Amino acid sequence: MTVVIGFEGSANKIGVGIIRDGEVLSNPRRTYITPPGQGFLPGETAKHHRSVILTVLQEALDEAGLKSADIDCVAYTKGPGMGAPLVTVAVVARTVAQLWGKPLLGVNHCIGHIEMGRLITNAQNPTVLYVSGGNTQVIAYSERRYRIFGETIDIAVGNCLDRFARVIKISNDPSPGYNIEQMAKKGTKFIELPYTVKGMDVSFSGILSYIEDAAHKMLSTSQCTPEDLCFSLQETLFAMLVEITERAMAHCGSQEVLIVGGVGCNMRLQEMMGVMCKERGARIFATDESFCIDNGAMIAQAGWEMFRSGHVTELLDSWITQRYRTDEVEVTWRD
Amino acid sequence: MATCMSENGSERKLEFFLKVPFPSEREATIALQSLSPDPEPRKGGISKNLDVSGQTLSVRWTADEARILRVSVSSFLDHLSLVMETMDAFGPPVSQ
Repeated sequence: MTVVIGFEGSANKIGVGIIRDGEVLSNPRRTYITPPGQGFLPGETAKHHRSVILTVLQEALDEAGLKSADIDCVAYTKGPGMGAPLVTVAVVARTVAQLWGKPLLGVNHCIGHIEMGRLITNAQNPTVLYVSGGNTQVIAYSERRYRIFGETIDIAVGNCLDRFARVIKISNDPSPGYNIEQMAKKGTKFIELPYTVKGMDVSFSGILSYIEDAAHKMLSTSQCTPEDLCFSLQETLFAMLVEITERAMAHCGSQEVLIVGGVGCNMRLQEMMGVMCKERGARIFATDESFCIDNGAMIAQAGWEMFRSGHVTELLDSWITQRYRTDEVEVTWRD
Repeated sequence: MATCMSENGSERKLEFFLKVPFPSEREATIALQSLSPDPEPRKGGISKNLDVSGQTLSVRWTADEARILRVSVSSFLDHLSLVMETMDAFGPPVSQ
């Protein structure tokens, strides 16, 4: 029996989760939400995390009905992500690991998403679309590495959505992406936007500047509604993601798609991906918002796999890093 | 306490010393190991050195500019405070 506690706080969500042999015992989380029109900055985000992390940690233990002695390993996000929030969380993880006399494990955030997706959906060997506010990658497992087959060459798809939400002052509660999704359902007019797939990769910064400009022009002259813009943006962005996912599937001969990351909660994206999968006779897997959105249990799950295959992070090597490629980690727990 | 060692207006290093007492040497060491692994966000212009002697954690900064020094010290104090709160809530350390 192996029990791992995982700490996650690389963006505006702070979560602590506990996993015991594939069972999620607890997974509390808090989100730092900024007023409409504002994004979250590193210093303020770290301050938010500092103010709640110990409460969330206690909640995780209480909900799981465990004491610190029951924990076998302390996992935390080593990166990638925002510097100040990552440090805040790492400092607490290091401290409790030492207080409790348990080994420490630095986890790659992207791999956390993948391992949680695999656990929840039981997908065998999927092509993974990892889409969030900070990352956009198409990943497939091959020979001990999660290989990146395609990715954004500039900003993440979630970043494009979040920044567009700021322009039209959509609420960030519970998340800007969720609110764009709700508004998009009421959109009726499709506005043509740049479509920028670059081979296996995608680009979003051009679409963002285009739609920011279009928003100012078209909304002031009532040529369209904000709902139309939300609808058009989603259709364009998601079609691009479906295309690069399909391209990777064709290369790998894969019959499974797993969508992970916060943007993976979006039902329209799941729907569009589902249509492509059906056409290819492939299966689509997705998780609900408890696991799509950043959470502690996903770090615990990746930590569980890593710990059981012999990984441990020495305190001296436990520094956080804002850049951490998914394929940098040797995936020793899979064949 | 910050000491400015400039007399003729030329650029000199600024220094800041901090000594933090802990209930035991073990806890001072835990704090040291929690607070030392991460590099300074700003690579140039500042250096920080942590050490434990008895029950005291001592930290020594050297910086080129007051502004950089202030940011680093302030950030360190926030993290130190968090470590101490964590120790209060989840300590004392288990016997080794």
